[in-house]
Amino acid sequence: MEKIKLMLVDDEERFLATTKKLLSKRGIEALTATSGGEALEILQQKNIHVVILDVKMPGMDGIDTLKEIKRRFPMVEVIMLTGHATVESAIEGLKSGATDYLMKPTGIDELIGRAEEGFQKRQRLEEKIRMAQSRKFMKSPRDILKEAEQDK
Amino acid sequence: MESSRYRTIRKIILTCMILVPFIPFISVLGTGYYYFANSLETSTTAGMKRIVDDHRQMIESFLFERKADLEFIQHAYTFEELSRAQTLLKVFQLLQTKSSAFLDLGIFDESGVHVAYHGPYELKGKIYRHTDWFQNVMAHGFYISDIFLGYRNVPHFIIALTRTENNRKWVIRATIDTFMFNDLVKKIRIGATGEAYILNTAGHLQTERRSGGNLMEPDSEYLPHLTHHEDTRAFIAKDSSNRNFLYVSTWLKNRQWQLVVRQEKADAFKVLRIATYLIVIISLIGGILIIGVAFFLTDRIVRRMQQVDAEKDQLSEQLIRASRLAELGEMSAGFAHEINNPLQIIKNEQTLIEMLMAEIKQKGELKESENLAEIEDSFKQINLQISRCAEITQAILKFGRKTEAKQQDVALNSFISEVIAMVSKKASVNGIALTQLVAHEPLYVHVDPSQLQQVFLNLFNNAIDAVIERHGGSGGAISIESASSDNRSVSIRVRDNGCGISPENLKKIFSPFFSTKPVGKGTGLGLSVCYGIINNMGGSMRVSSDPGRGTTFTLNLPAGGS
Repeated sequence: MEKIKLMLVDDEERFLATTKKLLSKRGIEALTATSGGEALEILQQKNIHVVILDVKMPGMDGIDTLKEIKRRFPMVEVIMLTGHATVESAIEGLKSGATDYLMKPTGIDELIGRAEEGFQKRQRLEEKIRMAQSRKFMKSPRDILKEAEQDK
Repeated sequence: MESSRYRTIRKIILTCMILVPFIPFISVLGTGYYYFANSLETSTTAGMKRIVDDHRQMIESFLFERKADLEFIQHAYTFEELSRAQTLLKVFQLLQTKSSAFLDLGIFDESGVHVAYHGPYELKGKIYRHTDWFQNVMAHGFYISDIFLGYRNVPHFIIALTRTENNRKWVIRATIDTFMFNDLVKKIRIGATGEAYILNTAGHLQTERRSGGNLMEPDSEYLPHLTHHEDTRAFIAKDSSNRNFLYVSTWLKNRQWQLVVRQEKADAFKVLRIATYLIVIISLIGGILIIGVAFFLTDRIVRRMQQVDAEKDQLSEQLIRASRLAELGEMSAGFAHEINNPLQIIKNEQTLIEMLMAEIKQKGELKESENLAEIEDSFKQINLQISRCAEITQAILKFGRKTEAKQQDVALNSFISEVIAMVSKKASVNGIALTQLVAHEPLYVHVDPSQLQQVFLNLFNNAIDAVIERHGGSGGAISIESASSDNRSVSIRVRDNGCGISPENLKKIFSPFFSTKPVGKGTGLGLSVCYGIINNMGGSMRVSSDPGRGTTFTLNLPAGGS
């Protein structure tokens, strides 16, 4: 079974470092980025399933980064991490395509839980895509019979 | 300072309201009085002059007729005929039938001897050569005397005429009845004090004066004003007792006698006096009215101003409070957000430490000891405090957030019932009676239901805490009462019989982070959040409390439905 590949995006480097350590202790591989731009670059190079994205960052902020990710990498699941417990910012994130949102301070278990959910969603989606693609190439026995009759 | 400002305003308004109507009021009355008095004086004087002229003509024609009578006799009879007593008697009787004014009749020869006489006195044979009247009549041919005493020693006046017959002058003389002449002159009546009399050139009374003054006495009051004027003259003079008289005088044609008519000024201008009284009364009543109305209106205006000012102060106080709360909310939200970031890091670090500790212990590198147990306990405590901090920041953010309330019409009665159902368990466990007093008509409010629910739960929980503090396990009561206060708003009262709130705490009750609960039991944000929610919905929230007896929260919410 495929393992979850996470990316953490936050301007707090200590947060990134510690969280990465915690995740690796749980056996989850995680990449980190300190800005939206860096995150987009990494996404271009590597296959990432779930991005944990801080809403408030200097430069390109969380919502802008989210929109850019969704535009360029629609398959990536994004979970917003906000220090601002406003329903507004959460709603805005969800409207812009975020899968879920977390409120700071959040525990590592909750973070992993949400990330797993996002990963499963992504996997279901991939499954569907695979199914749809294979249907293009595979024909059902009835179709074959139909075609045979027409040939006659 | 405030009251002195109102006093100044009051003074200004009062002065204006009294002075402004008073100026035209007094001017109208004053000019009215002035012109009325002037025209009355003119018309009264003119009227009196006319009367005097008429009267003078009448007196003159009387005297002229008497003279004509005598002239007729002189021409009808000769001196000899008239010298006979019988003829004289017959003539006198004839005269008497024509005019009773004749008192006697006498005939004189050139030398002044009284040749014949008919009358009540014995005057026949007396010699008059040296008397004034005889000399005058001989000189001028006609003479009317002033009143004099003569031989008979009784005041009288005579009319005498001469006639020349056969180169011989003779004289006919008649005495005029003084009483009759008196009556003739006196009979004029003007008002209550008007009177007429005749004075000679020396100012001696030729007829009696009704108000006193005998024949032949000088009229001392008039003497200073005696002049030989041509026309009818009017003037005002004082008498001995200082009363003002209006005099009108005119000389008779012979310039010998002067007709004087006088009337007390007060009497002549009686109408003016009445008008004056009326003006004074009107001024007094009008003045009292103006002053009364001015005071009444000024009081009302000033009171209304005070009321408006008080309302304005109250409103601006509310505004200040609301804006201060909004500022505080924004500030604390920003603050909470900034705290959340380090909290996140602390939490992660703590989790990492716990994990690492667990690993070390598993490997057996760390022996179980009392200190280790304490360290673990300490970490647990850190975790707990982080959670507490997180709770606080969540609450602050909730307080500070400016959410658009999704307002809709809510049926208030059933809504309150639902909220009561949520807290009824907690209330009954603590022996508190919860009552809902419902308005007769169904009420609708325009609110965000979830936010309103939060407000009610907060109020009920506070009330329950207050009741428990005072009553313990039984005897508490909480009531919620709703009523339509007017068409636009609905008022809801949440009343408890709990411990109450002291006045100094009551002032700060809606301020954020103000709490009387023990540390860790309350953030002090509940009521300030409620206050913000209600304000946001366009309502208002008030509190009143009686320490030791209970507290009442009153909400005014915008009415829904139409």
